[in-house]
Amino acid sequence: MAGPDAPTVIFIGQPNCGKSTLFNSIAGLKAETSNFPGTTVKHTHSRVSIEGRLLDIIDLPGTYSLCPSDPAEKTALSHLFSEKPDLIINVVDASVLGRSLEFTLELIELGWPMVVALNMMDLAEKKGVKIDPGKLASLLGVAVVPIIASRGRGVKELLNEAFKTLEDAGKPGARTWSRDVESRIEELARLLPPEFPLVANRRFTAVKMIEADRLFCDVMLGELEPGLKAEVDRVRLGIESGRSAPAYEIISAERHHQALKVAEEASLVERGRKVPWDRKVDDVIMHPFYGYVILAAVFTAFFFLIFKIGNPLETLLLKPFTSLDQDLGRHLGSNVLFHLADGLVQGIGGGIAIVLPYFVPLLIFMAFLEDLGYLARAGFLLDAFMHHIGLHGKSVGPFILGFGCNVPAIVSTRILESRRDRIITSLLIPFIPCSARTTVILALVAFYLGPWAALGFYVLNILLVAVLGRVITLFTKAPSPGLILEIPTLKRPSFRNILKKTYFQLRSFLAFAWPLLIAGSVFLSVLQAFHVDRTINAVLSPLVAGALGLPRELGVTLVFGFLRKELSLIMMLQALGTSYRDLLTVITKEQLLVFTVFVSFFIPCLSTFAMLWKEMGKKIAFLSAALSVSVAVLLAWIIRIVA
Amino acid sequence: MRTKRMSLVEAPIDKHLRIVDIAGGESVRRRLLAIGFHKGDVVELDSAAILKGPILVRSSLSDMRIALGRGIARKITVEVLDGRP
Repeated sequence: MAGPDAPTVIFIGQPNCGKSTLFNSIAGLKAETSNFPGTTVKHTHSRVSIEGRLLDIIDLPGTYSLCPSDPAEKTALSHLFSEKPDLIINVVDASVLGRSLEFTLELIELGWPMVVALNMMDLAEKKGVKIDPGKLASLLGVAVVPIIASRGRGVKELLNEAFKTLEDAGKPGARTWSRDVESRIEELARLLPPEFPLVANRRFTAVKMIEADRLFCDVMLGELEPGLKAEVDRVRLGIESGRSAPAYEIISAERHHQALKVAEEASLVERGRKVPWDRKVDDVIMHPFYGYVILAAVFTAFFFLIFKIGNPLETLLLKPFTSLDQDLGRHLGSNVLFHLADGLVQGIGGGIAIVLPYFVPLLIFMAFLEDLGYLARAGFLLDAFMHHIGLHGKSVGPFILGFGCNVPAIVSTRILESRRDRIITSLLIPFIPCSARTTVILALVAFYLGPWAALGFYVLNILLVAVLGRVITLFTKAPSPGLILEIPTLKRPSFRNILKKTYFQLRSFLAFAWPLLIAGSVFLSVLQAFHVDRTINAVLSPLVAGALGLPRELGVTLVFGFLRKELSLIMMLQALGTSYRDLLTVITKEQLLVFTVFVSFFIPCLSTFAMLWKEMGKKIAFLSAALSVSVAVLLAWIIRIVA
Repeated sequence: MRTKRMSLVEAPIDKHLRIVDIAGGESVRRRLLAIGFHKGDVVELDSAAILKGPILVRSSLSDMRIALGRGIARKITVEVLDGRP
């Protein structure tokens, strides 16, 4: 993607450092931006023009160090090394300076041109810490620019500094560590054969060979350079012998102490300040009792949002499309042209009238919670509960996102360190009622059986997730490693930031999911035009009519349901040849419930399935589909027997 | 003078504690190191743990907090520092 004329600039930083906020404010600066939603949600390329100068900027997922421990961090590192950036912009959270500088020092070891963006200066000051950027710059040996990304402050200065550093191409030098460690690293660096594939430079390569995950490094070296592997082992042992700790811990401690020292020298801490507001608020939010009351209130607000904003908006927006569809039917009759137009209108209308009214409020709400730092706190509160279903608090974030849409929820499981937790979480996410399924539940259950039935449906659904989690973990041997989750400082959400985040996500929906929805809708309309739907109904009849006891005409709606869950609802009325009001004259309440349950669970929708395949592999995707079908059939049966 | 050692789960709230040992698997230890918790660091427990729930640990030097599951907290040994609040 990088053109030959534009330098590549990589944004890298630890989680919660405000890196994406900064990236968004730069990517949105000038008209000439093209955002590539690309393969990952959190890794974005943008080409920006700043005062006539072009830059290729890349935003990487947050990572704590250059020794990755979760898939998101692995993505960050593989891009860092494959892009070979001309400049690194290291975004640092000034409010936890000592900790953040550990990573900065590790990045400096790369010896690549670098600028430090000292973000959240306002938060640091509120905490009573005054940082001297000039002092910090001279201690680190790289340029330091103080910024407040959420308010767009200092961004221009940062870019100017970036251009200056690009022109100078000055390379920072790594700080040396304690003699006993440093001398051994130098020794290994000298021992590397001349043709050895170096990463960044000799010293960095040597350090990584000693501290990186032993399994990976040793296997590779053992194959390629058995002699060198013996040397690495010897040097590693030498480092460990003096301090009686693993080498990776010793090296990490070196950076840790240097970082704390630099932070201490560069900042002035005001003593005796009163407890800041966020600590007091946090005491309530994470309180063993009030915390849960607030959590419940947040969830209620969440559903209130879907019900009260999305629903009326949907009715309002659907009207023109319904009448357009009827007009088309009058003018075109029932030929292929009508079916094509019908599919097109359904697809476009579905995107605008059904998805957007739920999607946009949800995106805004999610961005608000994220900006505030609430997801981590919900994770803390629900950790004990999650242990009952074999997971821990870190899975709460992906689950909450799943209520909006399962697709980004599955991507977000990358923050989980263990593959086991990722698999279980990804298998459970398709059972979380996303906004599309909420539409079906609302439109059918709440409308015909009353709001309490709908609420009951929701509660049972969450119970189902818990039971399934319990059952799935019976099949996994290793226990979950447990929760290690940073609780970021509570921030006052910035309106601008929330809108920007919503806009960027909305744009990727419009560019990717919507065309798919339209194409799928047109395709299925054409199938209908050639009466392929009858064949589908006949094929599915044993399941639909036999096992579920539903009218066989509903068979084709299940195919639509695979594409998008709400389409089942729209197509249901069409398939049965009835109107919304007269539905209960055609099928019974019991059948309605069976249908809703079955549609909700019978299979992850196409986008979710595709994302499961991409993120977790074919096996997990099919396992998830099989699990969904079995659960759906089982539940439908139970309802038939009970009701 | 050596003070009494205990696991982080049993440690008192709002007292300065020094981490003397981190047991457990390599991946957990690496994760704690990367996030900024090392042997020898001074930490505080922020609030009483919710029944069987995680605990909140604050690093006194860099002023940041992490939530630790009980299983992990049990593997971290600390000692209470004397003469400090």
